[in-house]
Amino acid sequence: MADDDDISRRYRELPREEPPRHLDDAILAAARRAVHTRPAPLVVPSGRQRWYFPLAAAAIIVLAVAVTVHVERERPSEEFVSTPSAPAAAAPAAPAVEPSAREMTRNETAAQPEKPKPERRRKAESDDSRQLRDQAAVAPPPELQKAPEPAPPPAVPPPAPTQDAVGSIAQSSGMIAERTQAPTPAPAPAPAPRAKPGERVKAATSAERRLDEGARAASSLSAFALQSPEQWLQGIADLRKQGRHEEADRELAEFRKRHPDYRIPPTMRERVERR
Amino acid sequence: MLAYGGGDAGAFETLYARHRGGLFRFVLRAVRDRGVAEELFQEVWVRVIEARERYAPKARFTTWLYTIAHNLLVDHWRKKGLSLVALDDDDVASESANPARQAEAREALARLVHALESLPAAQREAFLLHQEADLSVAEIAAVTGAGEEAAKSRLRYAMAKLKAAVDDG
Repeated sequence: MADDDDISRRYRELPREEPPRHLDDAILAAARRAVHTRPAPLVVPSGRQRWYFPLAAAAIIVLAVAVTVHVERERPSEEFVSTPSAPAAAAPAAPAVEPSAREMTRNETAAQPEKPKPERRRKAESDDSRQLRDQAAVAPPPELQKAPEPAPPPAVPPPAPTQDAVGSIAQSSGMIAERTQAPTPAPAPAPAPRAKPGERVKAATSAERRLDEGARAASSLSAFALQSPEQWLQGIADLRKQGRHEEADRELAEFRKRHPDYRIPPTMRERVERR
Repeated sequence: MLAYGGGDAGAFETLYARHRGGLFRFVLRAVRDRGVAEELFQEVWVRVIEARERYAPKARFTTWLYTIAHNLLVDHWRKKGLSLVALDDDDVASESANPARQAEAREALARLVHALESLPAAQREAFLLHQEADLSVAEIAAVTGAGEEAAKSRLRYAMAKLKAAVDDG
């Protein structure tokens, strides 16, 4: 070890050659040049890559919008298929009306030459549906179940409680009362207020018409399908009770088609099946 | 080096100032030709500059720097039809040492220089790496690509021969 130190000491006594000055300058200049020439990007941009990112971003945006629109259009049918298990008070009538309004809105948009923008239409539709839902919640369910009789209104007069319910709603909103009155007397008078253009703005007329048709649609027996299974069965039982067996059979068949796995309780089965 | 890779030119100047003397002497005493030494020395630094963005601190910068120098020396020897490993155990007769310098230097140092130049290339390289770059045996092994035992043996032989040469006087 001491020998090594001695050799090292002697070695350090040798002349300390240095690189020539011009070499230092050349190397340092090259180092500075290399730093200042380019910032050394991680990905060297080429002609192809310049438009690649904007194009990719645009494609993603278009795809996202398309998917959103598609999902929005698909949603109503999902609501229609699913049977809500909501509380008994408000739930039964609410879904029965809302999809009908949507459905009628679709028909209306097909018939109307000048249709509103989808966003506005959807908004108006949801407002109308909400109002109808509130209205349905006020009206007692049995009456609503009676109301949807498809037979000509003059033959089967609308039940009185519905009128009462409508009257109570009319106190709070005349517009809603007007809408709900339309289905009850007869379908024919309903278009009458529509024949007066200029009374309301176009959007209001459109929403009103939709509600009229939605309420009318709610009076069809198929509205049972939008209720909970128990309420649907109750409606069928009521039909049996009223002696409307053909309608009851049709509803029962539809019920079994929609709820193939639903097990009807024996007591209810006695009431809904034809004896 | 990382700072230089990030665009700090001043960091390179610091590195260069720290290693220029030792590296130049290492190359000069390895090739024993000033012109070739300057060429190789410049080439080492050019490679450092070029590798600034790829540099990853896996070891000391010194080890990395002298590894570049070693590889260039190997290329140099190869071009001349020589090999560092082949020269490991063979004593090479000293090329003409500079008589003027020998005359000026003290006698012992002259003998040391003579002995150093007479060392096999691999032993001389191990000795120079140890003296100029202050590398450990393990680092010498890493730079030269040899095993630690081989590096240790080369360094020990080099020391012994130089000691014998100095003591002979």
